[in-house]
Amino acid sequence: MRKWFARLAALGVALLVAGQGATAAHAQDPAAGKKIVRVGATQAMDSMNPFLAVRLVSTSIHRWMYGYLTVPDSKTLQPSADLAESWSTSEDGLTWTFKIRQAKWSDGKPITAEDAAWTFNKMMTDEAAKTANGPAVENFESVTANGQDLVIKLKAPQASMLDNPVPIMPKHVWESVTDMANYDAEKYPAVTSGPYIAIEHKKDQYVKLQANPNYWRGAPKVNELQVIFYDNPQAAIAGLKNGDIDLLGRMTPQEFEAIQNDPNIEAWNTQGRRASYLQINHGATTSDDKPIGDGHPALKDVKVRQALHYAIDKQKLVDEVQNGLAKVADGSIVPPMYKDFFWEAAGDTKVTYDPAKANQILDDAGYKKGADGIRTMPDGKRKLEWRFTIHTDTPIEDKLAEYMTGFMKEIGVTLTTVKLDSSKFTEETGVAATFDIAISGWSVNPDPEEVFATHLCSRRPAANGEGGGTESFYCNETFEQLYKDQQKELDRPKRAEIIKKMQEQLYTDAPIIAIYYTNDLEGYRKDRITSITPIPEDKGLLYGGSGYWPFYTVDVKAQAPTGGGDGGSNTGLIWGGIVGAVVIVGLGAFFLTRRRKSAADERE
Amino acid sequence: MTSVAMARRRLALSRFWADYRHHRAGVAGLVVLLAAVLLALVAPLFIDESVTNVVDAPGEDFDGPSLAFPFGTDESGRSVLLMVWWGSRTSLLIGFLAAVLSIVIGLVVGIAAGHFRGWTNGVLMRITDWFLVLPSLVTALVLAAILGGSTFTVIMAIAVTSWPSTARLIRAQTLAVEARPYIERSKALGAGHWHITTRHVLPNVAPLLLASTTLEVASAIVTESTLAFLGVTSNKTSWGTMLRASYDFGAATNGAWWYILIPGLAILVVVMAFTLVGRALEAVLNPRLRRAA
Amino acid sequence: MTTPLDAAEPAVQAAGPADERPVRRGTLQYALSKAGGALFSIAMVLVGTFFVFRLLPGDPVRNLAQGRNMTPTQLDLERRRLGLDKPLIDQFFDFVGDTLRLDLGTSYEYKRPVIDLIGERIGPTLLLTGTGLAIAVSLGIWQGTRAGWRHGSRFDRFSTGASLLLWSVPTFWLGLLLMMVFGVGIGPIPGIFPFRGIESVDAPDGFAYVLDVASHMVLPCLTLVAVVYAQYLLVMRSSLLEEVSQDYVTVARAKGLRDDEVRRRHAVPNALLPTVTLVFMRIGFVVGGAVTVEYIYTWPGLGQLFYRAIEVPDFTLMQGTFMLITVSVIVMNTLADVVYHLLDPRVRSA
Repeated sequence: MRKWFARLAALGVALLVAGQGATAAHAQDPAAGKKIVRVGATQAMDSMNPFLAVRLVSTSIHRWMYGYLTVPDSKTLQPSADLAESWSTSEDGLTWTFKIRQAKWSDGKPITAEDAAWTFNKMMTDEAAKTANGPAVENFESVTANGQDLVIKLKAPQASMLDNPVPIMPKHVWESVTDMANYDAEKYPAVTSGPYIAIEHKKDQYVKLQANPNYWRGAPKVNELQVIFYDNPQAAIAGLKNGDIDLLGRMTPQEFEAIQNDPNIEAWNTQGRRASYLQINHGATTSDDKPIGDGHPALKDVKVRQALHYAIDKQKLVDEVQNGLAKVADGSIVPPMYKDFFWEAAGDTKVTYDPAKANQILDDAGYKKGADGIRTMPDGKRKLEWRFTIHTDTPIEDKLAEYMTGFMKEIGVTLTTVKLDSSKFTEETGVAATFDIAISGWSVNPDPEEVFATHLCSRRPAANGEGGGTESFYCNETFEQLYKDQQKELDRPKRAEIIKKMQEQLYTDAPIIAIYYTNDLEGYRKDRITSITPIPEDKGLLYGGSGYWPFYTVDVKAQAPTGGGDGGSNTGLIWGGIVGAVVIVGLGAFFLTRRRKSAADERE
Repeated sequence: MTSVAMARRRLALSRFWADYRHHRAGVAGLVVLLAAVLLALVAPLFIDESVTNVVDAPGEDFDGPSLAFPFGTDESGRSVLLMVWWGSRTSLLIGFLAAVLSIVIGLVVGIAAGHFRGWTNGVLMRITDWFLVLPSLVTALVLAAILGGSTFTVIMAIAVTSWPSTARLIRAQTLAVEARPYIERSKALGAGHWHITTRHVLPNVAPLLLASTTLEVASAIVTESTLAFLGVTSNKTSWGTMLRASYDFGAATNGAWWYILIPGLAILVVVMAFTLVGRALEAVLNPRLRRAA
Repeated sequence: MTTPLDAAEPAVQAAGPADERPVRRGTLQYALSKAGGALFSIAMVLVGTFFVFRLLPGDPVRNLAQGRNMTPTQLDLERRRLGLDKPLIDQFFDFVGDTLRLDLGTSYEYKRPVIDLIGERIGPTLLLTGTGLAIAVSLGIWQGTRAGWRHGSRFDRFSTGASLLLWSVPTFWLGLLLMMVFGVGIGPIPGIFPFRGIESVDAPDGFAYVLDVASHMVLPCLTLVAVVYAQYLLVMRSSLLEEVSQDYVTVARAKGLRDDEVRRRHAVPNALLPTVTLVFMRIGFVVGGAVTVEYIYTWPGLGQLFYRAIEVPDFTLMQGTFMLITVSVIVMNTLADVVYHLLDPRVRSA
């Protein structure tokens, strides 16, 4: 019996030594000496196929892999050359000619206008290929290629042509794909034209990207970029603190506060690209102007909407809901980081927190307070009782709702909170219009056209109550006209003026009320990342930005020869080995002693 | 009921208590359980819904335990102690209602299957077996996803997935009771189904039902917290939603261990108390186990 | 996964001799009748799944689209692709046919066939929950045997108490605590185990890879084992308690056999029966994985996949994983019945 234990112990030790040996061998693994950046993400990729992928993490990774016609300039965010090195427009603004750069795909084949034409034509002809970026080609009449010249004919003028979000795909690789809806594009190495090449994807675990030596700007400074997925945001924060990952973006205020005082972490707190606003059911209609939904009639009155605006203490929301990590919105849907297009109310138009004034407006408009302090409609029939619709999966909105309830109480309005999961939320606030006030938000692109398009008449649901894509059920002649004007205006400063007017319209008519612009909260390891350039370069964004610039410019220390960047996992490896060995030894001992004993029993 | 029967029942009860008293763990559990229920019931006399209000939260965010806040504060500066106290109402209520609903379904199905035999039994037992193998958490999540989050949904989701074991237990017990000779006599005297099931079977299965319910409440409280953690909540402060919030708002990475520990310990203590009471009841009431012990 | 503690015991009775009909048939016939029952249950799962998922409020296509901006053409196309323009009864038969051909539809979120997604994830799930089950069963039987044999001893009180205590803990809470203590580390004590995923990103090859995966398994496994081993312990303990009072044990003792031999050769083999059945029943649940544990530790298994489906919500994926999990439980349960039949001579010869 004792002998057996001794033998097993020896076996265990041997196993452990073998394990250690293997770990030691691991130390000289190919990662040593390489420059590797590990980016954490709390969302996993939905698809490697850029025609289908819609999650932010996927579109970011695709931005690092593929070239676009144009990209936002790293300093000004104005459109600048990418795969298209130059472009021109016809007099009527309907024909665009892009000159495609002489460059190579990562497999050595030349990039031509054919690739771009194939990409756009695929999207125009195959419904499945429209999944990710369908609206981007909606206005395209035809796309043709001639050598390096790409000619796009439009149905109507479109100034935002230079913010096209469609990655250009290699025709020679992709034209054999027949069933786009079910194509997962899991072929490695991927054929790309951007700074990185995807070389491995373990579903829900990580994506590995390698520097593209053929990249036309020159290969990035690092050898490898890894995107590591976490289901559990707390684990991601812990991973950053432990050094398992080097950079983590898109943090909540609480997560940011947890890393803020860590000496090894650079806490990145800059103006973000997201505007949070309240969506108000001001009498929703379908695209044939028939009323839809069951919004409260009082909200049809612009005076009520303005009173509502006066009753919101945005500063308090910023301080207490967003922990001060946001900026009060005195403008509309374009956040201040887009200096060219940002508009801010001033003077008389500016609405500041003033519950007395809000009450005054409502009193004057005939909404009398009842005995219980709740106002009624001027005809005395219906009380001002509104719903406030929020998402189930965004806990911070619970707090917002409690503050909103308090603000509304001050002006004699009862607010009750309705929590919906994201698909029901979109259904009720974007199609069926069964809401009064809802929380919403939009991450605005360098060209803000799309966010304005969500307030167009045509975006309201169709007569059968389907489709659309409205953020407000707004339909206003002035706004429509301004939208058309900015589409035609190819002069950027002039177009910016029109866009500001549109924001003013939204601000005063209040179909939506912007409450704050949340900051972009990120963090990276100072001890690993030696340099990284945000986009825009002046106090811009890293992971949260639109464009590959930060991850093209990033530089890190080379991997220590012991694979040090992995932190605890080596110790974990050893511990795992020990635990494994103990279990094996234990089980072995158990069965062997049993067998031996039973043999002894038979002898008795 | 005759006075003889009354006296007999009283005697049975006192004998039961004498037996129960020997289970020290059971008695301890009972004390904790009664204390928890009492605290939950008297809570409205001392505090109200406003302890969960973020707008007038009294403290700073993530404040450690202090005299003013013995269990620290949460991410909005609310007192964790008061929240746990107030949240006990939701947790216990959901636990009790889900258990009662599950027991009622189980009781009806179990007695019907045991009493009517034949094809009724066959069909009911097939259904019971089918529900028995449904993975409960997965099913509850699917149900909640379909019905949308509310107190009702959570109770339904728990009850629908937990009744079959009760039904089996009750059916077995019903079969045993109906095999006794006095049921035969009762039938001969013209007793109908209703009379037999309510007058003879029910009183006999009731004690076991008590044990079963107690254990059911324990597992319902755990399930409620798990559902809340996975995002299916009643939209009211409960221990589960507190744990979810401590997770959402990064209590761990912000070093607010009290925010994670206290609601979890509350669940642990109460569930443990229910389990101990349930096991003690079972040991006292189930003759098989009694003999063994 | 948290399942009611008491569910285990009646279920064991259900599988066992509680079936009051005397079984006078051969094992094969018995197995066939059980298989028939299982087929019926599976059919009910199909019917139930179909109708429950059609009860969803709202337009299924729009549910699928998750409010993404779709043109009416796209909506129509999608509706036709999913066969939603057909009458309900046709849809049902399509659904049954597809399911039998293992075509579980295409996940809206991942744009890939559900069956492929399941195939990718079943391995890690089996590894994690299988190992967890093996450890929990060994630990439970070992402790349960000792506790039951030395009934009322300090060991019995301690181990039963500890297992009940762990049983009362919500799995996710224990998982988070273990992650904080052993993964992240507390104060000056560093974390020692990895807490994300199944392997390191730069995983080594060969034996070192095995160790790498093993180290990633430590925390999730520990969480799983801690919460579930109580049921094996309790079942083993109580069935051993019953055996101890049986006559044959007294006889064996009277023969002069040593105490541990009586235990090992007489009492334990008999007492193992309910535990074995319970283990088989649990194997079915192994496939379903452990939703909370996989979620907390980013373990790429079925539980995680299912949770994703719930979160989105991706109804095709939800439906597919739900059916798979349920059917595997039914199949394993049936096997448990048959195994019980084979193992227990009382049932076989009755």
